[in-house]
Amino acid sequence: MAAQNKVESDSDQMPAAADPNAEQKERLIASVKKEVKQLMEEAVTRKFVHEDSGGVTALCGAVEACLGQGLRRRALGLFKTSSTTALLHKIAKHCPEAALVSARVLAAEGAPATRSASGVERRPSAPRPPLSKRGSGSLLSQSPPQSKYLWIRIALFERQLAKIIEHLVNNATRYYERDALVADPDYGSILSSLLVGPCALEYSKAKAPSCFWTDPPADELVQRHRMSAGTTTPPSVRRPILNFRRSLNASSDDSVSTNTGTGKTGGSTAKDYVESLHQNSTATLLYGKNNVRVQPKDTEEPMPGYLSLHQTAAGLVIKWTPNQLMNGYAESEGIDKSYRCHLVHASACQNTCILCSLAPVCTVYRRVCSGPLCIDCVYWAMSLQVCVWEVVYVHVHRSQASDALILVGQDGVQRPPIQFPKGGHLLSFLSNLETGLLPHGQLDPPLWSQRGTGKVFGRGKIRRRPMPSLCESGETEEAEWEEAAGDYVFRIVNNAITDREAMRRSLLERAVHSPPRTPRRPLASTSTTSSDSSTMSVDCPPSAGFNGHPPQILPPSVQYTEEVPPASIELVCSTMRRQIISRAFYGWLAYCRHLSTVRTHLSGLVHPNIVPREGTESGLTEELWRTMMDNKGVISDKEEVYRQVYYHGVQHEIRREVWPYLLGYYEFGSTAEERAEQDAACRRQYETTMSEWLCVEAIVRQRDREATAASIARLSEASGRPKPVENTEPCEVFEDDYSVISDNPPVVSPEPSENEQKRLDTKPVLSRAPSIDEVDNIELDSEEKEKEIKVNGETETGDNIDVDIDSLKDLDDDEEVHIKSVVENPDLRRESIAEIKRIAEDIVQKGDGRGLLCSVDSANVNINGSDLRSSLDENQPSSQQHTSVIITNPSVDLAPSGSPASGGNTANVSPARSPLGVVREESHSAGASFDMLEPTNDQRPETRSNCVSPASSNGGVYSNELVESFALNLHRIEKDVQRCDRNYPFFTDENLDKLRNIMCTFVWEHLDTGYMQGMCDLAAPLLVMMREEAVAHALFARLMERAKDNFPSGQAMDAHFADMRSLIQILDCELYELMHAHGDYTHFYFCYRWFLLDFKRELLYQDVFSAWELIWAARYVASEHMVLFIALALLETYRDVILANSMDFTDIIKFFNEMAERHDASAVLSLARDLVLQVQTLIENK
Amino acid sequence: MAKTYDYLFKLLLIGDSGVGKTSILFRFSEDAFNISFISTIGIDFKIRTIDLDGKKVKLQIWDTAGQERFRTITTAYYRGSMGIMLVYDVTNEKSFENIKNWIRNIEENASADVEKMILGNKCDLDAKRQVSKERGEQLAVEYQIKFVETSAKDSLNVEYAFYTLARDIKAKMEKKQEASNPPARSGAHQIKPNDPMRKPTSWLSRCSLL
Repeated sequence: MAAQNKVESDSDQMPAAADPNAEQKERLIASVKKEVKQLMEEAVTRKFVHEDSGGVTALCGAVEACLGQGLRRRALGLFKTSSTTALLHKIAKHCPEAALVSARVLAAEGAPATRSASGVERRPSAPRPPLSKRGSGSLLSQSPPQSKYLWIRIALFERQLAKIIEHLVNNATRYYERDALVADPDYGSILSSLLVGPCALEYSKAKAPSCFWTDPPADELVQRHRMSAGTTTPPSVRRPILNFRRSLNASSDDSVSTNTGTGKTGGSTAKDYVESLHQNSTATLLYGKNNVRVQPKDTEEPMPGYLSLHQTAAGLVIKWTPNQLMNGYAESEGIDKSYRCHLVHASACQNTCILCSLAPVCTVYRRVCSGPLCIDCVYWAMSLQVCVWEVVYVHVHRSQASDALILVGQDGVQRPPIQFPKGGHLLSFLSNLETGLLPHGQLDPPLWSQRGTGKVFGRGKIRRRPMPSLCESGETEEAEWEEAAGDYVFRIVNNAITDREAMRRSLLERAVHSPPRTPRRPLASTSTTSSDSSTMSVDCPPSAGFNGHPPQILPPSVQYTEEVPPASIELVCSTMRRQIISRAFYGWLAYCRHLSTVRTHLSGLVHPNIVPREGTESGLTEELWRTMMDNKGVISDKEEVYRQVYYHGVQHEIRREVWPYLLGYYEFGSTAEERAEQDAACRRQYETTMSEWLCVEAIVRQRDREATAASIARLSEASGRPKPVENTEPCEVFEDDYSVISDNPPVVSPEPSENEQKRLDTKPVLSRAPSIDEVDNIELDSEEKEKEIKVNGETETGDNIDVDIDSLKDLDDDEEVHIKSVVENPDLRRESIAEIKRIAEDIVQKGDGRGLLCSVDSANVNINGSDLRSSLDENQPSSQQHTSVIITNPSVDLAPSGSPASGGNTANVSPARSPLGVVREESHSAGASFDMLEPTNDQRPETRSNCVSPASSNGGVYSNELVESFALNLHRIEKDVQRCDRNYPFFTDENLDKLRNIMCTFVWEHLDTGYMQGMCDLAAPLLVMMREEAVAHALFARLMERAKDNFPSGQAMDAHFADMRSLIQILDCELYELMHAHGDYTHFYFCYRWFLLDFKRELLYQDVFSAWELIWAARYVASEHMVLFIALALLETYRDVILANSMDFTDIIKFFNEMAERHDASAVLSLARDLVLQVQTLIENK
Repeated sequence: MAKTYDYLFKLLLIGDSGVGKTSILFRFSEDAFNISFISTIGIDFKIRTIDLDGKKVKLQIWDTAGQERFRTITTAYYRGSMGIMLVYDVTNEKSFENIKNWIRNIEENASADVEKMILGNKCDLDAKRQVSKERGEQLAVEYQIKFVETSAKDSLNVEYAFYTLARDIKAKMEKKQEASNPPARSGAHQIKPNDPMRKPTSWLSRCSLL
């Protein structure tokens, strides 16, 4: 697999042939390669490939395109649309594989009528003969575009495709034009061998989830990335995130690193090496000569080989490759064959070559293994690769037998002599060398003189021996030179240094205030690689291999430039070069300034001072926490706490203690007593608020029940309407009622409502209003409740009840105060109390339209509202109920609220459950407003909640709008609470109720914003951690202070998106460009949920805790916008996957939604901290 | 690269929160049901490629947050969508009443020729039903939109709904294409495959379509 990838990726650099079709062929073969790669990856990651997989179709299409190209249709008499199918049938005579497939295809084509009749739905379980099973794969192919691929599909599934194509390739002349891809000796065999892999796969027809043909899921993408990363770059070497390279620099940098080879053929370059001997995109072939003899170090005598001269971006390179390698390469009919050899070989070979094992890629070309070093590796070791800029002198030794050329490097070391055959090859090599050196360098003395008409050799210096004067002898030079023996020395001079110096000088002269590279410094300093690349971008390319060049060469070369006539052209060139470079420089400067602006903008995101991370290796452990706490339980060193938490989180056991501090609920410096007081007060407050909304909830419930009953009733009316005439009238009345005020149709309602009540009663909520329907068993009920609560207390902490009682005692002491507080608490209450008074009076006395409707609703029995039965039934026990509640348990405080609430029958404000008699009584007392509270208190002194609730429920004659808006919120809350983290064991019904209470309490306090989806998710981890409702609620309220801006009502989300954009822009250019190409930052919806829920849905609970602590602590340590950096860290973690698949925003959304809860949280968080540090450093260095 | 599909349709699921949009989508894309779905925050989508009259149609189905507070985000996705599923919950009258609001919302934000379909979900919960099928049909007639009652839990009509919507979009698209370039070939040969229903009898007996 890996080897195959290698073949594919590398052979993209195949030499471009001269004929015009080359490009098209290249494209065709490249598409096949790509599809094969995709398919093989799919096979590896999914363990099998489905026959209907998109990859199969795509591959078939690509193969079809290759086979169709250059087909001799006319000559073969193939005129059908699908001529390749006809071709298949044609070759069936000669090729047994083709015959097999041909038969299958015919069978499949003959069957479609029966197949379509048998139904489209494929039943995998139904046993079918293999033939039709295959054929069913062609179901899709009934449409014109697919049917073309039918035979290819079948051949692929039958694993014959590669053989058929091989047959075609071998007999290409019969079927194809000469310039066809299949007829091409290289491409043809590449094609057939590429298909060997796919033909070896298992294809499945099983109806697995993959048969829904979904796109590859996120984890598969990640997996694929790891796989391909293994072959290209080692996974450990992660790309640096701070990546300031612009694409220009990146490309030059890459080419430099690959082409300025070390001169030794390392295994990793083996493959590149052979291909680089041809003309390709990165190197131009200047000269090539075979059978040039070189005597490598360990050999007895010179060996023939292929000498070539290449012009690359980095400069000239001289290469020599032994014939053994070259011939082997030629004999193997191209890479594909050798690839196949390799496949065979890799399994058969037992010995591992020392060199190969060090350089595994070399194995691609390994064929014969003998001993510790395989033969090829020996040859590879012999081959030469010399960068001309590393050579100072070129010695030419000419003798009668041959011409030898010796290269002497900067270090004075001689390379093995290169012996040219006779016949002017040396000369042409040298002339090519000289041409290649231009414009940056030259041979000194020059090989060619401008003066003479012909060529002049070795005009200048003669060493050792006087050389025959050839220079002046114009015409006969070739012949004479050939015959003459002698030694010459040339020096290779590089002008690039002078050019560069001149350029620098000119740049400086242009009054650029800072030297060219300084503005880049702050960027470069934070990155490991960018410093290199930035240097590159300013320097001229040749400087790469040239840094150690002796400076004394400069004077003569400069002189020389002046002497020679083409100097003027050179001058023009250098001016142009200067202009180009300065323009590039200014563009770059503008870019830097822009980045600087962005950085300034971002400076608000992080704190300017970097808090050191020393001594935070273990984070805030319990031990540390205890030592920080003094004997009064005071924690004073908040900086240290924040610092520890920021760098290493909190030990899980003490999170419960620490979180209130982090969220600012507890003050640092508070004593344990103060905190206990705070808790108690908080709890009191919480209960008060709860009692308020619980009343409204009761009203809402009542209405709901009625509404439900109504619709059910209507439904049953509608469905079972045997006598429509009789039912019409009441039905209409009902409908009216429902639409005006959703009140209680008494006949239907009791049952469901009772059920409902019972269900609710079994829930151990802090307080709950039993309905009057259950008055009969109210005593039993309250006893049960008491038990329940006791159980609660036992199973949980027990302090719940204690505190309750405490607070109650407190309250008993000063009832006055308490009552005042209750009454004064929400402003609204006074109004509503006044209102209820008015309304109640209205209704009771006047019996207005509403009252009338009520009475209609309260049905057959209850027309006057003072029905005997109900008043007896319900009035009496209700007082019983009060007493029983009083005695048994204070936290059933709201139990009686049922009755007052029902008293609120006043219009549509409260449920019409109780008879009007009760109403009258209640409203009577309500008429006294305050007074009403007093007597109740007097009667039941111990139950403060008990008094509160009637108060609030009476006062709770809330405006209709209020009730309705709360009802809306309540329904939403319940919907979301019911489905909040049900997979997490903590959320039993009991705890879900707690969550619901927290939500309702919060929403009640913030009814203007109301409940918004996502709040549940934010509250859930707090509840999980704190366990206790009141405190969790308090923390949640703190959390929401920041988080509320993220919700649609706030503006923070857009700001987050914009900040993300800026951060990506300065920290990851490449990613930014990809994203920018797909749209602006308003499309950053993939991080919407991240910010809204503080990554709660992205991470597992345990990790959510750490992430949240980090966010909270970071506020005081490093950044108030830690979420941004965590988001960025998430993005950076998968940047390579995103880039490799060039995902658009849609893909990214899908990717991250699928990756939810699968992230490596600790890595992400620490990356986030690093990113903060990086931005801090950036800004500091500005 | 050869495309692995012939058409790409973008569909959108809207409706009040808790009506079962995510469940419907999950049923269609994974053929599974999960009682403990969490509320959708922001936006998500799933992909399934279906075979429609011999064409591979890739459906990219966007799932939105139901709460109207989040409409600012979801409306961003109205524009590109070619088909919209309006989902209500037959056990929740309010969600049914809100369908009108959602339709208004579509008219304001989506392209004019977007294909629509109304789904009355949770039709397995007959005991809790608040909205009769007749009312759903009536509403659908009023707006001239196709309607079907579905159950993501029982996998009832979910496939049918998506196939129908996709087929409508495809028909509209081909019509448009034909209009723009005169008849290349008449669509007379179009093979109409059997409805890809799993339980054809059950939906016929229980739910109707218009």
